[in-house]
Amino acid sequence: MLSIQHIEKQFGDVQALSDVSFDVANGQIVGLIGQNGAGKSTTFHSILNFITYGGHITWQGHPLSTKDFDHIGYLPEERSLMAKLTIEQQIIYLARLKGQHAKDIRPQIDDWLAKFAVKGTRKSKISDLSKGNQQKVQLICTLIHRPDLLILDEPFSGLDPVNADLLEQAILDAKQRGAAIIFSSHNMENVTEVCDSLVMLRTGHVVLHGTLQEVRSQFDKTELFVTTPWSPDKLAQLPGVLKVIPRQPGQYRLHLADANAGRAIFQALTHGEYIEEFSQQPPTLDEIFRLKVGEADA
Amino acid sequence: MILGPFVMLGLVLGITYVSSQSNASSTKVAVVSPTPQLRQNFLASHPSNIESTIKTVPAAKQALHKNHLAGYLVLTQAGHQVRADFHWNQSLDSGVKAQIQNYLTQAQQRQNYQQAQLTPKQQQALQQAPQLKQLIAKKTGAANTAKMISFWLIVTLIYIILITYASITAQEIASDKGTKIMEIIFSSTTAVSYFVGKITGILLMILTQIVIYLLGGWAIYSWALSQPHFHAMWEQYRTLISTVIHNLLNLNLLYLLLGVILFTLVAAYSGAVVAKAEDASKAAQPITLLGMVGFFATFPFQNNLDALPVKIMSYIPFLSSYFMPLRIINGTVSLETQWISLALALLTVILLAEYIGRRYQKLMLQTDSHSVWQHLFKHHH
Repeated sequence: MLSIQHIEKQFGDVQALSDVSFDVANGQIVGLIGQNGAGKSTTFHSILNFITYGGHITWQGHPLSTKDFDHIGYLPEERSLMAKLTIEQQIIYLARLKGQHAKDIRPQIDDWLAKFAVKGTRKSKISDLSKGNQQKVQLICTLIHRPDLLILDEPFSGLDPVNADLLEQAILDAKQRGAAIIFSSHNMENVTEVCDSLVMLRTGHVVLHGTLQEVRSQFDKTELFVTTPWSPDKLAQLPGVLKVIPRQPGQYRLHLADANAGRAIFQALTHGEYIEEFSQQPPTLDEIFRLKVGEADA
Repeated sequence: MILGPFVMLGLVLGITYVSSQSNASSTKVAVVSPTPQLRQNFLASHPSNIESTIKTVPAAKQALHKNHLAGYLVLTQAGHQVRADFHWNQSLDSGVKAQIQNYLTQAQQRQNYQQAQLTPKQQQALQQAPQLKQLIAKKTGAANTAKMISFWLIVTLIYIILITYASITAQEIASDKGTKIMEIIFSSTTAVSYFVGKITGILLMILTQIVIYLLGGWAIYSWALSQPHFHAMWEQYRTLISTVIHNLLNLNLLYLLLGVILFTLVAAYSGAVVAKAEDASKAAQPITLLGMVGFFATFPFQNNLDALPVKIMSYIPFLSSYFMPLRIINGTVSLETQWISLALALLTVILLAEYIGRRYQKLMLQTDSHSVWQHLFKHHH
């Protein structure tokens, strides 16, 4: 388990991290969300000892040291590989830094290239690959030594939906074999799909922390999804409806002033008859994210 | 790059060979004279380089025009005076001029004696000439030339190797600066071992180059020895060449190596402190400057290697790489002193490696906008 307790970091006058605490259990995926500059990369850099910090970070109960490096897989935010090398040379070089033997890694390369649908052979030069393919090779470098702790800084950025699915599958595979995984993302959809729990940072502070359900249930069920022949104008006149957002023809999302308004709206819409859809929910992660960011700006 | 000097050497030898070949046909001289006795005497006293088949002025002129002759000499006797007219395509070589002058003097002297009707005893008395004898201590002369050649060879060699590798190292490391690959590497291994590995790699590259030069130099030397036309030169300069080689292949090599390590370390440091990878070319500036200072500082002392500044600078790391080899060449330094200076350089290498290794990770991951100079001279927090 990776345990982060009360870490603090200051750059000059800027408080980059302030009393940040959370755990990542083995076999669990934690999503770290927050705006640019919220402190996500600084948290990762603290875990990896790239910077000094206040507080404690432990891995499997002891402070993280160079001895643990072989069990860490780290994907930095911007991608960067050694352009002069071939795919094979690059993968083997980085794997050997992780204490792997070339003879063990070499036979796996083709499988990994196929798994991530990399366009190119093991002999292709890194510089000849497209940006997306370079990113996939970098992912392979992060995963091939089967790390127990995976730290992925914005792994989904720049990936198309097909490739994002491949990455998602790879992360879930790593979770399956018991790796502790932490990744940052701007894309709430990815977080919703793969994370067991999430941590939201705002200007260095933890503002949300828990499982997806726990986080969402901290908010009232003010979002109402309905399918009805009613016109948007008519829906807007229902008591407690603040906003009507059309989704599809005949499908709407109603934003309520108060979760308790739901009961009266149900009565008015159905009159006790069958209705195809009536679902009252807390805000989506995306909305919560906006909400929390909005709080700071207010 | 490694083959550069060999290519240069090959080019120079090739050009020299080709130009000597093209000149070969035109070094002979013809001698023409209406007085056969004069011509015969000249031929008898100067048998080499004479084209003896040409006996008339028109034939000589034609041959000269066709470049088959370097020139021709017309010997005449008017009354009691001997006269020589030399027709050549360039001004007289001083050696040739002396030869002719010598011959003319002798011929004229014979004429004068005959004219004066001197007795053999009187002739002998007049032939009495003063004596000038040069007494050169051959060994010292050669040793000084050897020192001079060794001085220039070693100083230039050190300078070129230091500057070349310092800038390669600085640029190599600066180009890694701020790249995310460094984050991946530092999440895999310690900065110190990465730094030491990088420096070791560069040093092995330098060593390979030095070994190639030594082997190449040895091969050329052996080849030159086996060539008959170099034999005379080898005999003449045997002492000189072996002294120079001895001066290069002693503790001086160790100084060169240690100097390279020192300069490489500082180069790596200046590479690591540049603001961003794009500034890589600026990274080598401080170390290049240091190398140049050492190089030019030796100039005033090339004829005065016993001077006090030389002694002082032969202990100061970085400068000692230039100055101690010079003192060793001069032969005025004890082995003890050499080891003390070496130990100082080694200590500096260890301290520098330790210091830079410790700061390497922070330097490589940070991307602030301080200049190389600001970093080198400011105190770090």
